[in-house]
Amino acid sequence: MKTFAKACCAVLAVVVLWQCRARGASPTQDKVSPQDIDFFEKEIRPLLAANCFECHGEKKQEAGLRLDARLPAMRGGDEGPVIKAGDPEASKLVAAVRYTGDIQMPPDGKLPSEKVEVLAAWVKRGAPWPDHGSLVPSDDDSSDKAENHWAFQPVREPPLPTVNGSDWVRSPVDAFILARLEAAGIAPSKPADRRTLLRRVTLDLTGLPPTPAEVEEFVNDASPNAFEQVVDRLLASPRYGERWGRFWLDYARYSDTKGYVFQEDRNYRFAYVYRDWVIRAFNEDLPYDQFLVRQIAADRLPRESENNQQLAAMGFLTVGRRFLNNKYDIIDDRIDVVMRTTMALTVSCARCHDHKFDPIPTADYYSIFGVFDASVEKLLPIAPPSAEFEQGVREREEKLEKFMEEKRRDLEARLRADAAEFLLATRSPPGTDENMLRRDRKTRITERWRQYLSERGKEFDPLFAPWCAFAALADGEFEKHAVSLSASFAKADVEGGRLNTLVAKAFAGEPPKSLAEVSARYGRLFAEIDAEWKKSADDAKTKNEPPPTALAGADAEQIRQVLYGSDSPLVLPGDMLDRSLERPDRNEARRLRQEIEKFRTTSKSAPLQAMGMEDAARIPPKTRVLLRGSPGRPGPEVARQFVSVVAGESREPFNEGSGRLELAHEIVAADNPLTSRVLVNRVWTHYFGQGLVRTPSDFGLRSDPPSHPELLDYLASRFVAEGWSIKKLHRWILLSSTYQQSSEDRPEARAKDPENLLVWRMNRRRMDLEALRDSLLFVAGQLDATIGGPAVNIVTAPFSKRRSVYGQIERQNLPAFFRTFDFATPDSHSPQRFTTTVPQQALFLMNSPFVIEQAAALVKRPEIESAAEPGDRIQRIYALLFGREATTDELALGEQFVTAGDGAESNWQRYAQALMVSNEFLFID
Amino acid sequence: MSFFLLARQSLASSVFPGRAWEQGSKKAMTPHINPQPVTRREMLSRCGMGFGALALADLMKQTGLIEPTSAQAATNYVSPLSPKPPHFAPQARHVIHIFLNGGCSHVDTFDPKPKLAEYAGKPLPMPNLPTERKTGAAFPSPYKFQKYGESGIEVSEIFANVGSVIDNFCVVRSMHADVPNHEPSLLLMNCGEARLVRPSMGSWLTYGLGTENQNLPAFIAMCPGGYPIQESQNWQAGFLPGIYQGTYIDTKHTDIEKLIEHVKNNHVAPAEQRRQLDLLQQLNARHSAERAHDPQLEARIQTFELAYRMQQEAADAFDVNLEPKHIREMYGPGTQARQILIARRLIERGVRFVQVWHGEGQPWDNHDDIEVNHRKLAGQCDQAIAALIKDLKQRGLLEQTLVLISGEFGRTPTVELPTPGSNAGKVNGRDHNHYGFTMLMAGGGVRAGYVHGATDEFGFQAVEKKVHVHDLHATILHLLGFDHEKFTYRYAGRDFRLTDVHGNVVRELIA
Repeated sequence: MKTFAKACCAVLAVVVLWQCRARGASPTQDKVSPQDIDFFEKEIRPLLAANCFECHGEKKQEAGLRLDARLPAMRGGDEGPVIKAGDPEASKLVAAVRYTGDIQMPPDGKLPSEKVEVLAAWVKRGAPWPDHGSLVPSDDDSSDKAENHWAFQPVREPPLPTVNGSDWVRSPVDAFILARLEAAGIAPSKPADRRTLLRRVTLDLTGLPPTPAEVEEFVNDASPNAFEQVVDRLLASPRYGERWGRFWLDYARYSDTKGYVFQEDRNYRFAYVYRDWVIRAFNEDLPYDQFLVRQIAADRLPRESENNQQLAAMGFLTVGRRFLNNKYDIIDDRIDVVMRTTMALTVSCARCHDHKFDPIPTADYYSIFGVFDASVEKLLPIAPPSAEFEQGVREREEKLEKFMEEKRRDLEARLRADAAEFLLATRSPPGTDENMLRRDRKTRITERWRQYLSERGKEFDPLFAPWCAFAALADGEFEKHAVSLSASFAKADVEGGRLNTLVAKAFAGEPPKSLAEVSARYGRLFAEIDAEWKKSADDAKTKNEPPPTALAGADAEQIRQVLYGSDSPLVLPGDMLDRSLERPDRNEARRLRQEIEKFRTTSKSAPLQAMGMEDAARIPPKTRVLLRGSPGRPGPEVARQFVSVVAGESREPFNEGSGRLELAHEIVAADNPLTSRVLVNRVWTHYFGQGLVRTPSDFGLRSDPPSHPELLDYLASRFVAEGWSIKKLHRWILLSSTYQQSSEDRPEARAKDPENLLVWRMNRRRMDLEALRDSLLFVAGQLDATIGGPAVNIVTAPFSKRRSVYGQIERQNLPAFFRTFDFATPDSHSPQRFTTTVPQQALFLMNSPFVIEQAAALVKRPEIESAAEPGDRIQRIYALLFGREATTDELALGEQFVTAGDGAESNWQRYAQALMVSNEFLFID
Repeated sequence: MSFFLLARQSLASSVFPGRAWEQGSKKAMTPHINPQPVTRREMLSRCGMGFGALALADLMKQTGLIEPTSAQAATNYVSPLSPKPPHFAPQARHVIHIFLNGGCSHVDTFDPKPKLAEYAGKPLPMPNLPTERKTGAAFPSPYKFQKYGESGIEVSEIFANVGSVIDNFCVVRSMHADVPNHEPSLLLMNCGEARLVRPSMGSWLTYGLGTENQNLPAFIAMCPGGYPIQESQNWQAGFLPGIYQGTYIDTKHTDIEKLIEHVKNNHVAPAEQRRQLDLLQQLNARHSAERAHDPQLEARIQTFELAYRMQQEAADAFDVNLEPKHIREMYGPGTQARQILIARRLIERGVRFVQVWHGEGQPWDNHDDIEVNHRKLAGQCDQAIAALIKDLKQRGLLEQTLVLISGEFGRTPTVELPTPGSNAGKVNGRDHNHYGFTMLMAGGGVRAGYVHGATDEFGFQAVEKKVHVHDLHATILHLLGFDHEKFTYRYAGRDFRLTDVHGNVVRELIA
């Protein structure tokens, strides 16, 4: 039975090696002796360099294997280690160069045998490999670095620093800022004047400028808490949520459409329900931890009331692009949006290989992948749906189910009939194609058979042991060995275990002449058992008995399980069934699905629904790593669990359903070092134009350290301690002297800190798209303050007067207006808007009918029109736009402009437009 | 015209020494668009210069509105689209990509397969490769091929005019892609990735090189009648700033207002608009004077001047009626001819990347009636493509302009079998074929009069000197002066490339 053992040993070796790896068999070695060094450098390294590095070196790592440095070489490839020190026979590398295994290397010709044996001898010596000048950073280095990396340290509230200029210190924020400034010998800037400050804070909190009345009131309010009152007023305004909610939608890659989806309806008809939930959450100051938990797992929380508004929060997960409906890409997008938004971790980098810089192994990616793979998206009614609606949905779903079931029966019957063919096909080399798109049904089913057999081949298998043994025979030698092999199967008891007697019988007679014959014999056996099973089902039917659940004989039942069992390669999971259908059937299935969706979203009886998620009906205990990110190459199993960089090695697997709620709780755990820091930094970034950490969505090892680590930690720890209130955080920042500084340039300070890292002044910022468009409408007296509801077209005439946050975001063909003004890409998480300055922006402001309309509306405002004197009119326009009086010069300039030429009334409109697109209007001092 | 001269000259002196990026090669091509350009140093380090800035700065100085240092800053206004040098001296500086969308059949155009006639109506001696739909017997080309030019490269009768200039082309007959479906193949050809969101080649190039004419969009995608399949994703900026996205032009129209948004103001006469702009700039100048040292303010002032000029310049660029009659006649009649002529006008004006799509949807996707349809489609562009090559050449532009012609894949040499609900049972067309197809390249440092690689004897699959789309991209970047492995953009924790982790420069395609 030696042959049989050998046949299955390749599979076994892989498994054993994986286990070694999982147990953390670390590729360390004792000190390398000088003789060994000599041997390695003279014999081994040149050999590897000449024959292996081209494909397994610095540039390329075929099969994930790198052989130009000790650590990666010992770590092995995608399928585990290839060198087992001391044991050449168990080393895949040796088998490969000997051309004895499945993999034969180098591919273009076997090495001379003396070279092969030198390599084997080296492995036998323990594969000594001097590690000087290692080409890649050693494991220890990077884990050290990660361990000490600032962002992974616990958040601790630091003591307030002592400073000299204590009268400048209005809040703890100031103490931290001033301490750094004093150390650098820079004085903070004087406070901004009241008009500037009010315009700044109003635009910051609401995205709109203050009214002239608000300006006058604040300028004339001598009370010590005048500014505090302004801040509270603005935080209480519904305009606040519309402004800050939009920031969140940037992170959430919000869009009202799906992107390119062939013939499907492109609209996410209920995306706006998520957008409105976000706005409301900001306005109500929903604590940030709850804000996050709901967005990840609202379906797992107790209902709030009859109207389950919170379900809308899960739009965070579901409003992404559809990537031609490729499941793996959709999940990748969800992993990315959750991990970067909440923790500034670039987990998606670990989809195909361990993260190059951060301690995020691929296994962790698939731990999170498993969570989303065990969840399904679903429209969830927010208000209880009417019976009529539910009935309508059910009818249409049943239609689809019935159709699919019918197709499943047909297809599976065909696959059972072709079992022998598939069995044989598993022996031809698997395609090199890693892209599932290209695979036809046959390759996919063959792949399932291959996996099924490899799974069964891990131990002695009473059904497939003969198959394994015959399959292992070399082509030319088949007939020679088949005879003795056949003889060994004459008795059911063979080395290793007991064969299924029916299988043994099939091989008892004449030895097979080819592997095709072996598979044909299996095929016959399958056909017989299938016929027997069908007969027993028919018999039961005629006798009016309940359908059978198993065949009578244990051996027969064992074979039936191959055809019908829950792990049978012939029983197709849902998505595979779909892809395996013939084109007309696929079209029909699509049509039926579209009917459901259409009814759900557009029928008159449809209630308000959330783009939610739910746990899948069947959740596998574990999930599999996909090697190189390829769905065609499942690797080892991993548990659904949190990322090790935060949770540590002692983490527990998630055990409630998909684990989404547990994931959410891990993210907002009080000891999570990232979540609070990330949020605090995001808020800071919006106020100052640059963050304390300048890469707001990457806190990994390649990020710059924070400019003020203590301040970051102070704010983060207070934020958590005081109940994750974002409005409190705003107050801490806004009421500081730091925020209230003037934005004026000071050459002496600039010389010391040209990039204003120490915040010696406020940074001047330009209005973004929303602030600009909304402010134009606002000063023109045109802004429609309606809150919420389905998206509106804000790009083409007749121009909507709604706030920009309610504008339709069409991600497939985002209108030029959005791109021109640096709108966040709706295709993936957007950490921060770009600020570009290009002539297309000017073109829009000069020529677009929208802007011209607003200018016309502005001069028609009653308070403008009613001013008799040009000077008076100009003053009122200045008050509206800039919150200040025009100077004598400016008055003269204006009067000259409007009276020139024919002194036409349209002069006023052009005058107003010039002011509305001027730098003073667009920039926030 | 003087404006162009200025642009060209400043470019000539800044591009070719081309050391700027080599010095910081590790950081080369990391984003130089900061969310907030804060310092002047930062602004200046972005090189290039704003055109027309001098005049404005002078004006501001004359009126005593700005101090000299601000004038300096104004002169040094740099747009994210200002010209920038690549890694090394480039052979090509512009690209025209003529996209035969839907998939032009290579065995009917530039890859003759006489063997198909031998097997006509019979199965090929090997199994048909799986494509999107089932195909059957060998289907010889209905067209005649003949040798052209000194190179003797064979070209189909439906591209006889291209044949007449074939000596200028490098004919890559061994192209291959990944899948036989339009959507992923379009994205692969344009963005180097079949499904995920990645910047298109034109976006990469305008990000890396800027553009030589600030008065026109840097990257233009023209397609008459509407979008191709996958729509504007074909020219998407992906995670790069939105300004690097291709500007879509529906060349069905001839009216400039329908071609470029907001390029014209119908409410105001030019002189009056100039007066308005002067007022705006005076206001802005006062505003800046009170806010010393802020390059963002100066930059914005500049863009209004640029926009003002753009109105005229863009209108001219798209107006083929400004061409002499003999040139218009050389390109021939029809929409294809017009848009190909526009492409030349754009390139001539310094636009970096122009894509010319044949039409809305996928016109070349001839699953049936291929004889009639391919002849018609080729007839629409053959003369204009030949004219483009001659015209670029006579203007000395061909050597610096890379011209690419292909679809997203080729078509099967076997006939497509009838499929319920698709091709109406005509059995006279071809299915998609990503295993082998042809790409035509000309100008811009490409090896002319050369055939590279080959498909098998029936044209089903590239077999000799295979060139994957990633290899093509690596080669194109090389021609434009970039090392495709170093031309990266950091996003979401990774340094992304057009070629991702793939691609080799195909040296044999380079002159």
